[in-house]
Amino acid sequence: MKIIAFLLLCTSISVYGQARQDLSHLFDSTGPAHPKVLYTYKGTRIIMGHSTDMLRKHELDFRVDHRFGDLAGEFGGAKTFYGIDNSTDIRIGLEYGISDRLMAGLGRSKGSGEQHQLIDLLVKYKLVEQTQDSHVPVSVALLGTAVMSCMTSEEDPHKAAWFGDGSDRMSYVAQGIVSRKFGDKLAFSLSPTYVHRNRVGYMDMNNLFALGVGGRLKVSKRIGIVAEYFYPFRSQASRDYYKSQGITFYNPLGVGLEIETGGHVFHINFTNSSAIQETQFIPETTTSWLQGQFRWGFNISRRFTLFGKKDWKK
Amino acid sequence: MKNLFLLFSLVMITSAVSAQDVFSCRNTRFSFFSSAPLEDIEAKTDKGVSAINVKTGAIYFKVPIASFQFRKKLMQDHFNQNYLESDKFPFAEFKGKVVENADLSRNGTYEVIVEGTLNLHGVDKAYREKGTITVKDGNITAGSTFNIRVADHRIDVPSMVVKNVAEVVAVTVNAVYTAAVNR
Repeated sequence: MKIIAFLLLCTSISVYGQARQDLSHLFDSTGPAHPKVLYTYKGTRIIMGHSTDMLRKHELDFRVDHRFGDLAGEFGGAKTFYGIDNSTDIRIGLEYGISDRLMAGLGRSKGSGEQHQLIDLLVKYKLVEQTQDSHVPVSVALLGTAVMSCMTSEEDPHKAAWFGDGSDRMSYVAQGIVSRKFGDKLAFSLSPTYVHRNRVGYMDMNNLFALGVGGRLKVSKRIGIVAEYFYPFRSQASRDYYKSQGITFYNPLGVGLEIETGGHVFHINFTNSSAIQETQFIPETTTSWLQGQFRWGFNISRRFTLFGKKDWKK
Repeated sequence: MKNLFLLFSLVMITSAVSAQDVFSCRNTRFSFFSSAPLEDIEAKTDKGVSAINVKTGAIYFKVPIASFQFRKKLMQDHFNQNYLESDKFPFAEFKGKVVENADLSRNGTYEVIVEGTLNLHGVDKAYREKGTITVKDGNITAGSTFNIRVADHRIDVPSMVVKNVAEVVAVTVNAVYTAAVNR
């Protein structure tokens, strides 16, 4: 009796199986188990600082970044065409994706701070990638930058741009970038940063920690709003000393609009910091939004694909 | 004991029958080609899946949109973000039937017509396309090339790039099936 019942069950199962016309049930678990979150940001930068996004293997990014003069305040207004007549910093850089997780770049910038004529070398590595099911809740990237000033040394040995030997020309940044994308429109980042400058002025700090906060809100398929803020942990003693010298340090704040036009990503932004390099805008921003000392900035990124034609054809 | 043996053989037979009917492929290749005045765009993936029931003629395809690889990664970015919106519509799926009379349980190469519904970019559209199915000693391969009009699936091509992206994209699919374990 038991066996007959079991037999009936077997037949019913096999009939049920054959009755299924829809074959989709065979693939209920198609796709990777933990799909990655793609495109947290539009490019490798948020505004001034880096995002967790990378260039991919064989991609070359040609970048031109500008910061103009004060838009308003004492040095801005109609007489400088709202700052456009003055360029405080310009960087031209070439960056390359060595793999999907590792990129390197070389840039030259004017410099806006104590030191000028800067050459920078950067390496960024993507450590982990956020997944859609939050199995990995965040993306993490690590950035290392070395900056060398090529300017002629100042004659006054008290100045930050007086160079005793080659190592005095060097500054470094180590940064971790942690980002999370919420839904398909909003992204948010935290960037703990360490800036080391071999050569600084009296009472300035060789080693400075800072925390960056950034975010992006996508408003349409091709337009996003970005914002970024850095808080440098400068000591009170250093702040007080510089205040007595008539110099106040401000925290860099930027807001911007990113527009994608085919092969370009075009950034229009406003920042109070006048410099482009992390080694300068984090510790050396002395311009304030409240005094009209903010400026237009443009970042233009043009990405090309080199090589890989053969690899791809396989 | 005799009964038990009978039972086992019956279970074996029933499972064998259903396994013979359904064939599946977990590395179905998809590629597409867009030819426009300014540039040709090509992408491919082998992460698609497919299944075919040789008795009923039912056929099924599914492919993760984000798995398509382009040589130029910027194109891949635009494909996922702006055109196919793979965040919102992660898969393309086809459910259909081989309508031509072809006895797929026998060896041979068959030119067939497949009818069904393709869900792409969240938009369903009925298709009736030609394909080839080859059966050889229990191995089945299937292939087809057909055209998709991007506008049919509400894929937006801005006027700025009409010279870069074709209105009609040729899609090629190839699957090599093995007998599926019925689950």
